[in-house]
Amino acid sequence: MSLKNVEKCEHTKLELFLSKVQLPYSYKKVGFIIVVLSFIAIIGNKFIDIVPPWLVSGFKHAMLIGLLIVSLSKEKIEDELIESLRSKSYALAFIIGVGYSLLQPLANFGVDLILGKQNGSDQIGYIQVLLFMLLIQVGFFEVLKRNR
Amino acid sequence: MENTIKVERAILNLTQDELAQKIGVSRQTINSIEANRYVPSTVLALKLSALFEKSVNDFFKLSVND
Repeated sequence: MSLKNVEKCEHTKLELFLSKVQLPYSYKKVGFIIVVLSFIAIIGNKFIDIVPPWLVSGFKHAMLIGLLIVSLSKEKIEDELIESLRSKSYALAFIIGVGYSLLQPLANFGVDLILGKQNGSDQIGYIQVLLFMLLIQVGFFEVLKRNR
Repeated sequence: MENTIKVERAILNLTQDELAQKIGVSRQTINSIEANRYVPSTVLALKLSALFEKSVNDFFKLSVND
Protein backbone atom coordinates (compact mmCIF):
# COMPACT_ATOMS: atom_id res chain seq x y z
CA MET A 1 0.00 0.00 0.00
CA SER A 2 1.50 3.34 -1.03
CA LEU A 3 1.87 6.30 1.32
CA LYS A 4 -0.81 8.19 -0.62
CA ASN A 5 -3.29 5.32 -0.13
CA VAL A 6 -2.53 5.15 3.60
CA GLU A 7 -3.10 8.91 3.78
CA LYS A 8 -6.44 8.51 1.97
CA CYS A 9 -7.51 5.80 4.42
CA GLU A 10 -6.61 7.93 7.44
CA HIS A 11 -8.40 11.03 6.21
CA THR A 12 -12.11 10.49 6.24
CA LYS A 13 -14.48 12.43 3.97
CA LEU A 14 -15.51 14.55 6.96
CA GLU A 15 -11.89 15.52 7.66
CA LEU A 16 -11.38 16.44 4.01
CA PHE A 17 -14.55 18.57 4.12
CA LEU A 18 -13.41 20.30 7.33
CA SER A 19 -10.03 21.12 5.78
CA LYS A 20 -11.85 22.86 2.92
CA VAL A 21 -14.00 24.90 5.34
CA GLN A 22 -10.93 26.38 7.05
CA LEU A 23 -9.72 29.89 6.28
CA PRO A 24 -6.13 30.98 5.54
CA TYR A 25 -3.86 31.97 8.46
CA SER A 26 -4.08 35.70 7.59
CA TYR A 27 -7.79 35.68 8.51
CA LYS A 28 -6.88 35.06 12.16
CA LYS A 29 -5.75 38.69 12.57
CA VAL A 30 -8.93 39.91 10.84
CA GLY A 31 -11.00 37.84 13.28
CA PHE A 32 -9.11 39.19 16.30
CA ILE A 33 -9.56 42.78 15.11
CA ILE A 34 -13.34 42.24 14.68
CA VAL A 35 -13.53 40.65 18.17
CA VAL A 36 -11.57 43.48 19.85
CA LEU A 37 -13.49 46.27 18.06
CA SER A 38 -16.90 44.74 18.80
CA PHE A 39 -15.85 44.12 22.43
CA ILE A 40 -14.81 47.78 22.79
CA ALA A 41 -18.12 48.85 21.21
CA ILE A 42 -20.15 46.65 23.62
CA ILE A 43 -18.21 47.87 26.69
CA GLY A 44 -18.38 51.49 25.48
CA ASN A 45 -22.13 51.21 25.09
CA LYS A 46 -22.43 50.26 28.79
CA PHE A 47 -21.02 53.70 29.72
CA ILE A 48 -22.47 55.89 26.97
CA ASP A 49 -25.81 54.10 26.43
CA ILE A 50 -26.85 56.06 23.33
CA VAL A 51 -26.59 53.20 20.87
CA PRO A 52 -29.93 51.66 19.81
CA PRO A 53 -30.53 48.04 20.95
CA TRP A 54 -30.44 46.67 17.39
CA LEU A 55 -26.89 48.01 17.01
CA VAL A 56 -25.80 46.40 20.31
CA SER A 57 -27.18 43.12 18.98
CA GLY A 58 -25.19 43.80 15.79
CA PHE A 59 -21.99 44.24 17.83
CA LYS A 60 -22.63 40.91 19.57
CA HIS A 61 -23.17 39.19 16.23
CA ALA A 62 -19.98 40.83 14.90
CA MET A 63 -18.08 39.44 17.91
CA LEU A 64 -19.54 36.00 17.19
CA ILE A 65 -18.46 36.21 13.53
CA GLY A 66 -14.99 37.42 14.59
CA LEU A 67 -14.55 34.49 16.98
CA LEU A 68 -15.78 32.08 14.31
CA ILE A 69 -13.20 33.47 11.86
CA VAL A 70 -10.45 33.02 14.49
CA SER A 71 -11.70 29.51 15.21
CA LEU A 72 -11.78 28.50 11.53
CA SER A 73 -8.43 30.05 10.59
CA LYS A 74 -5.53 27.74 9.86
CA GLU A 75 -2.22 27.88 11.69
CA LYS A 76 1.08 28.93 10.06
CA ILE A 77 2.07 25.25 9.84
CA GLU A 78 -1.01 23.08 9.76
CA ASP A 79 -0.09 19.50 10.64
CA GLU A 80 -1.73 16.48 12.27
CA LEU A 81 -0.82 17.54 15.81
CA ILE A 82 -2.56 20.88 15.28
CA GLU A 83 -5.63 19.06 13.88
CA SER A 84 -5.65 16.80 16.93
CA LEU A 85 -5.37 19.75 19.33
CA ARG A 86 -8.13 21.60 17.48
CA SER A 87 -10.43 18.57 17.77
CA LYS A 88 -9.72 18.37 21.50
CA SER A 89 -10.47 22.07 21.96
CA TYR A 90 -13.82 21.72 20.10
CA ALA A 91 -14.74 18.71 22.24
CA LEU A 92 -13.85 20.57 25.45
CA ALA A 93 -15.74 23.69 24.33
CA PHE A 94 -18.84 21.62 23.55
CA ILE A 95 -18.85 19.82 26.91
CA ILE A 96 -18.13 22.99 28.91
CA GLY A 97 -20.71 24.91 26.82
CA VAL A 98 -23.44 22.40 27.63
CA GLY A 99 -22.45 22.50 31.31
CA TYR A 100 -22.54 26.31 31.21
CA SER A 101 -25.99 26.42 29.61
CA LEU A 102 -27.26 24.03 32.32
CA LEU A 103 -25.62 25.75 35.27
CA GLN A 104 -25.98 29.42 34.29
CA PRO A 105 -29.78 29.60 34.90
CA LEU A 106 -29.23 27.92 38.28
CA ALA A 107 -26.51 30.46 39.14
CA ASN A 108 -28.84 33.31 38.09
CA PHE A 109 -31.62 31.82 40.23
CA GLY A 110 -29.24 31.57 43.21
CA VAL A 111 -28.10 35.18 42.82
CA ASP A 112 -31.72 36.36 42.47
CA LEU A 113 -32.61 34.39 45.61
CA ILE A 114 -29.76 35.96 47.59
CA LEU A 115 -30.52 39.49 46.35
CA GLY A 116 -34.24 39.00 46.84
CA LYS A 117 -35.15 39.77 43.22
CA GLN A 118 -38.30 38.33 41.75
CA ASN A 119 -39.36 37.37 38.22
CA GLY A 120 -35.76 36.94 37.19
CA SER A 121 -35.36 35.31 33.81
CA ASP A 122 -33.89 31.81 33.90
CA GLN A 123 -33.23 31.81 30.15
CA ILE A 124 -29.86 32.50 28.57
CA GLY A 125 -29.50 33.74 25.04
CA TYR A 126 -28.02 31.68 22.22
CA ILE A 127 -25.45 34.42 21.52
CA GLN A 128 -24.21 34.20 25.12
CA VAL A 129 -23.78 30.40 24.89
CA LEU A 130 -22.17 30.52 21.44
CA LEU A 131 -19.78 33.31 22.48
CA PHE A 132 -18.85 31.33 25.58
CA MET A 133 -18.26 28.13 23.57
CA LEU A 134 -16.15 29.88 20.94
CA LEU A 135 -14.13 31.71 23.60
CA ILE A 136 -13.47 28.40 25.38
CA GLN A 137 -12.49 26.74 22.08
CA VAL A 138 -10.10 29.52 21.04
CA GLY A 139 -8.68 29.77 24.57
CA PHE A 140 -8.15 26.04 25.05
CA PHE A 141 -6.65 25.70 21.56
CA GLU A 142 -4.07 28.39 22.38
CA VAL A 143 -3.27 26.75 25.76
CA LEU A 144 -2.94 23.28 24.17
CA LYS A 145 -0.75 24.72 21.42
CA ARG A 146 1.60 26.32 23.95
CA ASN A 147 1.83 23.10 25.99
CA ARG A 148 2.31 20.74 23.04
CA MET B 1 4.65 4.22 23.13
CA GLU B 2 8.37 4.91 23.21
CA ASN B 3 10.57 6.01 20.37
CA THR B 4 14.19 6.60 19.43
CA ILE B 5 13.59 9.37 16.91
CA LYS B 6 16.07 11.62 18.69
CA VAL B 7 18.78 8.98 18.15
CA GLU B 8 17.81 8.42 14.51
CA ARG B 9 17.82 12.16 13.94
CA ALA B 10 21.27 12.43 15.51
CA ILE B 11 22.55 9.65 13.21
CA LEU B 12 21.41 11.68 10.19
CA ASN B 13 22.80 14.84 11.82
CA LEU B 14 19.47 16.65 11.51
CA THR B 15 17.99 19.32 13.75
CA GLN B 16 14.35 19.10 14.84
CA ASP B 17 13.55 21.91 12.43
CA GLU B 18 15.26 20.19 9.48
CA LEU B 19 13.50 16.89 10.20
CA ALA B 20 10.18 18.73 10.53
CA GLN B 21 10.66 20.40 7.15
CA LYS B 22 11.57 17.10 5.48
CA ILE B 23 8.35 15.40 6.57
CA GLY B 24 6.10 18.48 6.41
CA VAL B 25 5.25 19.12 10.05
CA SER B 26 6.16 21.79 12.60
CA ARG B 27 9.24 21.67 14.84
CA GLN B 28 6.91 21.50 17.86
CA THR B 29 5.36 18.30 16.50
CA ILE B 30 8.80 16.63 16.28
CA ASN B 31 9.55 17.86 19.80
CA SER B 32 6.24 16.41 21.09
CA ILE B 33 6.90 13.04 19.40
CA GLU B 34 10.43 12.85 20.80
CA ALA B 35 9.15 13.69 24.29
CA ASN B 36 6.47 10.95 23.96
CA ARG B 37 3.70 13.51 24.37
CA TYR B 38 2.24 12.73 20.97
CA VAL B 39 1.90 9.47 19.04
CA PRO B 40 2.05 10.20 15.30
CA SER B 41 -0.30 8.83 12.67
CA THR B 42 0.61 5.90 10.44
CA VAL B 43 1.35 8.32 7.59
CA LEU B 44 3.84 10.30 9.66
CA ALA B 45 5.43 7.11 11.03
CA LEU B 46 5.86 5.82 7.45
CA LYS B 47 7.33 9.13 6.34
CA LEU B 48 9.86 8.87 9.19
CA SER B 49 10.51 5.26 8.23
CA ALA B 50 11.24 6.26 4.62
CA LEU B 51 13.56 9.06 5.77
CA PHE B 52 15.46 6.92 8.29
CA GLU B 53 15.43 3.94 5.87
CA LYS B 54 14.37 1.71 8.73
CA SER B 55 11.24 -0.18 9.68
CA VAL B 56 8.75 1.64 11.92
CA ASN B 57 9.29 -1.07 14.54
CA ASP B 58 12.95 -0.10 14.75
CA PHE B 59 12.25 3.31 16.24
CA PHE B 60 8.73 2.91 17.74
CA LYS B 61 8.24 0.46 20.60
CA LEU B 62 5.22 -0.31 22.72
CA SER B 63 5.74 0.52 26.39
CA VAL B 64 4.48 -1.50 29.36
CA ASN B 65 1.39 0.72 29.71
CA ASP B 66 0.25 0.21 26.08
